[in-house]
Amino acid sequence: MNSTAPSTQPVTPPPPPEQDSLYAVRQKVYVRAVTGLFANWRWALVWITQILFYGLPWLSWNGRQAVLLHLVERKFYIFGWVFWPQDVFFLAILLIISAYSLFFFTAIAGRLWCGYACPQTVYTEIFMWVEQKIEGDRNKRMKLDKSPMSPRKFAIKAAKYGSWAAISIWTGFTFVSYFSPLSDLLRSVQTLSFGPWELFWILFYGGFTYLFAGVMREQVCKYMCPYARFQSVMFDPDTLVITYDEARGEPRGARKKGVEPKSVSKGDCVDCGICVQVCPTGIDIRDGLQYECIGCAACIDACDQVMDKMEYPRGLIRYSTENAIKKGWGTKEVVAHVFRPRTLIYGFVLVVLSLAFVWGLASREPLRVDVMRDRSSLAREVEGGMIENVYELQIMNMTEQPRTFVFGARGIDGIAIEGDKRLQVDAAGMRSVTLKVRAPYDPDKVGATEVFFEVYPEDKPSLKLSEKTTFLFPR
Amino acid sequence: MQKLIQILWPSFLVAGVVEAIFFTVINPSELYFFGSPVRFDAITTYSIGFFAFWLICAASSLTTIYFQRTANEINHPETKS
Repeated sequence: MNSTAPSTQPVTPPPPPEQDSLYAVRQKVYVRAVTGLFANWRWALVWITQILFYGLPWLSWNGRQAVLLHLVERKFYIFGWVFWPQDVFFLAILLIISAYSLFFFTAIAGRLWCGYACPQTVYTEIFMWVEQKIEGDRNKRMKLDKSPMSPRKFAIKAAKYGSWAAISIWTGFTFVSYFSPLSDLLRSVQTLSFGPWELFWILFYGGFTYLFAGVMREQVCKYMCPYARFQSVMFDPDTLVITYDEARGEPRGARKKGVEPKSVSKGDCVDCGICVQVCPTGIDIRDGLQYECIGCAACIDACDQVMDKMEYPRGLIRYSTENAIKKGWGTKEVVAHVFRPRTLIYGFVLVVLSLAFVWGLASREPLRVDVMRDRSSLAREVEGGMIENVYELQIMNMTEQPRTFVFGARGIDGIAIEGDKRLQVDAAGMRSVTLKVRAPYDPDKVGATEVFFEVYPEDKPSLKLSEKTTFLFPR
Repeated sequence: MQKLIQILWPSFLVAGVVEAIFFTVINPSELYFFGSPVRFDAITTYSIGFFAFWLICAASSLTTIYFQRTANEINHPETKS
């Protein structure tokens, strides 16, 4: 049966593959700085995302913070909208849209999110820029780390860690200002009297920014990111990934500038190793697609520069697909294969969900009504042969102007609400009122009868909401 | 160190999700602690809630790691690197 298997099976299992690769045994990656088309894209994304992130809390709208996810008030203010916990539906749709965008973009061009927009990438980019400015280029940094401690080295390291800490604290402060009003936080800064938890979360978020972007870097992507583990299910042979053109590059080897590769029976790869030096995760793209590759395209920029110097055509490392490499497709065929059932379905779902989201937002009624029958006081008979039920009417005003609401009851002949039938509710506020409702006794309706409370704002009667409840007639 | 991260990191992720869902549905001022209403301010309740969730999730991860040991590791604890 097992005739081909080696006859001497080891009795003890082989030692487990190195288990301590996480965090402990790690070769520090000294990333070489790179310039070029994709580096520009990465920097553009750094600017866009960070101007948004650091800037949004400072914007004002209607005399309040424009974007504030106010946890204490349990209200999310986003420009003109005020969301309540009851609007969690919108959040759910938004999360589904985000998930489908991820599927969509990953199916088309791999880890675009990781390479350009993920906060881990963006902050690592910023932190590496600081490192580069203070410690110098890759060679200088390696030399500095090898050199013994000296006042100069100490000063350089202190400047770097200090700058990182400053960015981190600012990041933590900005993060907390999305959840706790910035004006309050600024007051806390002036008087140096933070709430204990606010200070804690600033340091917590800032600390993790420092740890992830300064210290751990590629290890976060390799070991901690859940997305890196399942991204392969969204890949198919037509997905654009960063690819080394092995057929064109091999056999690799050094040669003089401008030498025709064929004349020295070599491929186009000059084996300069710069694609490895620029890689933030420290892999060699020439070994093929690897899960560590975050798709940042730094190696494309680096290789294109080398190809330019060698006067070879660009694109030895490029965005390409498995099929394109195998079948020698040109750009036209690759683009044509972007439109395939998988991407079309993702795209379709994405469009439908986005339309539903926009429609939901546009048709959201800025008024919510809740009616509860008071269970502690049962129906009772009052003067004039009337039956009285007690209700709690709750009105939420989701606009940013105080509004007066008018309400009434219907469903039984002669039903009426005692007392004032108007209620003033503050801007983005909620008020409840106890209502005594009376209806003439009707022996045919003993038990529960359906009634409706109707509520509308005084300044806009067309916006009328009906809330169903029951009216009890005693036996 | 590796085991510690394997316990703390997944539980952190899950605790974050649970925290968001739990406090979306439940208002912290409507919670009761041993029969009396919770009187902390909202940020404190959210924070304590998050750490409670993290702790619970970490306990689960710890149990997973505990049961994941191979027969060899249990029989020969001294040979473990």
